[in-house]
Amino acid sequence: MEPQDIYYNKAEYVETASGNKVSRQTVLCGSQNIVLHGKVIVQSDAIIRGDLANVRTGRYCIISKNVVIRPPFKKFSKGVAFFPLQMGDHVFVGERAVVNAAVVGSYVHIGKDALIGRRCILKDCCFIEDGAVVPPETVVPSFTRFAGNPATCVEDLPECTLDLMLDYTKNYYQHFLPARV
Amino acid sequence: MAYLFQPDYVRYVCSCGSVKPVSKIYFCRHCLKVRCGYCVCHEVDSHYCSNCMENLPSPEVRLKKNKCSNCFECPCCFQTLSTRAAPAPVRAGGNPSVEDTKSLAKPPPKKVYYLSCSFCRWTSRDAGIPDQFVATGGWPEQENPHLARIVALLEYHKILASRERQQSERKKFHPKRTYMQFEKFAMSSVMVRKRAGLCPLPQSQQSDYPQPAVASEEVEELSPDIFTQPLDITKITTLEQRLKHPDVQAEEINQLRPQHKQFLMKRSQRCRVCEHNVCKPEYSPQSIKFKIQLAAFYHIPEVRIVTCEPLRIGQTSELLLKLCNPTQHQTQIMLFPLSTSITPTTVTAAGTKEVDRENMQLGCESPNLLPSLVRQITVTEDPKPLKLSPQAEIILPESILILPPRDDAAEYDDTGDTHNFQDDPKLVVWRKGNKAVIRLLVKPNEDEQIEEGKEITVGFVMQYGYVNTIATLEHKEPQKLDLKIKLFLSIGKLVGST
Repeated sequence: MEPQDIYYNKAEYVETASGNKVSRQTVLCGSQNIVLHGKVIVQSDAIIRGDLANVRTGRYCIISKNVVIRPPFKKFSKGVAFFPLQMGDHVFVGERAVVNAAVVGSYVHIGKDALIGRRCILKDCCFIEDGAVVPPETVVPSFTRFAGNPATCVEDLPECTLDLMLDYTKNYYQHFLPARV
Repeated sequence: MAYLFQPDYVRYVCSCGSVKPVSKIYFCRHCLKVRCGYCVCHEVDSHYCSNCMENLPSPEVRLKKNKCSNCFECPCCFQTLSTRAAPAPVRAGGNPSVEDTKSLAKPPPKKVYYLSCSFCRWTSRDAGIPDQFVATGGWPEQENPHLARIVALLEYHKILASRERQQSERKKFHPKRTYMQFEKFAMSSVMVRKRAGLCPLPQSQQSDYPQPAVASEEVEELSPDIFTQPLDITKITTLEQRLKHPDVQAEEINQLRPQHKQFLMKRSQRCRVCEHNVCKPEYSPQSIKFKIQLAAFYHIPEVRIVTCEPLRIGQTSELLLKLCNPTQHQTQIMLFPLSTSITPTTVTAAGTKEVDRENMQLGCESPNLLPSLVRQITVTEDPKPLKLSPQAEIILPESILILPPRDDAAEYDDTGDTHNFQDDPKLVVWRKGNKAVIRLLVKPNEDEQIEEGKEITVGFVMQYGYVNTIATLEHKEPQKLDLKIKLFLSIGKLVGST
């Protein structure tokens, strides 16, 4: 199915020179530590905790409504330390998902209401289903689909996942249009 | 992408008769046929651990029983265990005076390590496994209670296998021997060397034969307290937990031991007819690239449903389809009714000609480099009959749709389309780059009894131009072919009748 157009209120969104579209109704803590690499959409009520550690995203990332992106911490004998969170290109994060991963690779799909535990590593081309709970410190290998609570590998992904995901995020960006008044 | 989380609206018919979305089929460039997961050979390329991403050669993997030696899985919830460090406890008892002087001399820098599951909070301390002083390795291995018997049987089967191999080798040499080698030289030096290290063949076999298993009628009696003891269900392992480790099958929770993590593998796919690879990933487990990638997504025009008007019996509805040419060559697409034969044709000076690719391929040398002894014999099946039948009529256009090649730079090109195609305005609604949207009309069948709310499928045969760039002996130039593929589309539910 061809994706439908999504219309947004032009007054609500800020568009940067590199094509990032960021809603004004978001909580971007420590914005000097957040790098969005262009053509990234951050929708309303998303929270990005740049105050804890650096957050970097690649190109064509889509961060849906009510998503929480929070760098992971690690406990040491003397207190805790936060680690930067890195996200690759063409990543989709569904509504209400909570991402505490250390690394999110490229071409990754995170479903709605998914929970990515502390210091997880999501490799390139993996798929987290809606509502999956990925336990802390899990490594999700490439070309796997994880689902359930606790999330386990349920299926292999097709070999052309890279282009499917690339196509999807690009299409999403192209269909994310300002509403005509 | 929508293929990953949406139902399969558009399905292609594989040459084996199964219907699959375009993301799950392959296109063999050598047979020029569509292949799917059911009709290719799956071969294991490499094994790797999904946690530490270490990959090992297959003999070593077999030795380690397909399990990673460093990574462990929680026996309760099957998640990866993480190693936790804790300060070493100060030992009490023994000789306190000596202990005291030691701890005074140097403060205890020692750490102990234990395994812990971050999901269900199981720890190796729960199982009563002593903490380790090194971070990796050193965990006690759980032994199979029937190890001795398994080893004896394995040994025996190895002997049987080697004996069989010898016999087949002797058979192979037999016809030669009768008329040349043996008449001249009695026994060749090669044969002598082969025989030299082997055990004498005849009758001494009985001694190494392991005791056969004997079924016994006597069953151990249940202890009487099984009827009197109250059952604590929280201390009994679940069926899943037991079956995860079939060799031990612990009954109580505290008998569970951390298990080594199973390896995952990378697979390559091979066409069963011509034995060429249709898909071969790179060796490294981290890599998402492919050495050979013949997924249909890159070779066959992709069809997507844009919209479809509500369907009513006896009424025509408009169906918009988006077609996309993924190849580097211009293609021309024509749609035909389902009954059309799908043999490929080629356009030559003499007119159109059918191409019989399969027979041609069988004659030439197989690219599979494995020696014929080791290699599996490929089994090809006859195509399965198709069970899908369309519930609606589709009015197909007669004009040809031309799609230009894919151009990745076109995205950054703002000058607009420079192609001037003489499109039928009734057919083509929109066109950009290598994509076009076409309008078709569908009409649900009147004669069939279709209930309201039922999913309606339509089908047609798509003919597309394909440029074969593989140079063969007969054709040095790229060859232009017209290939056909059957498609089925689920276009929506029946709303009602007029």
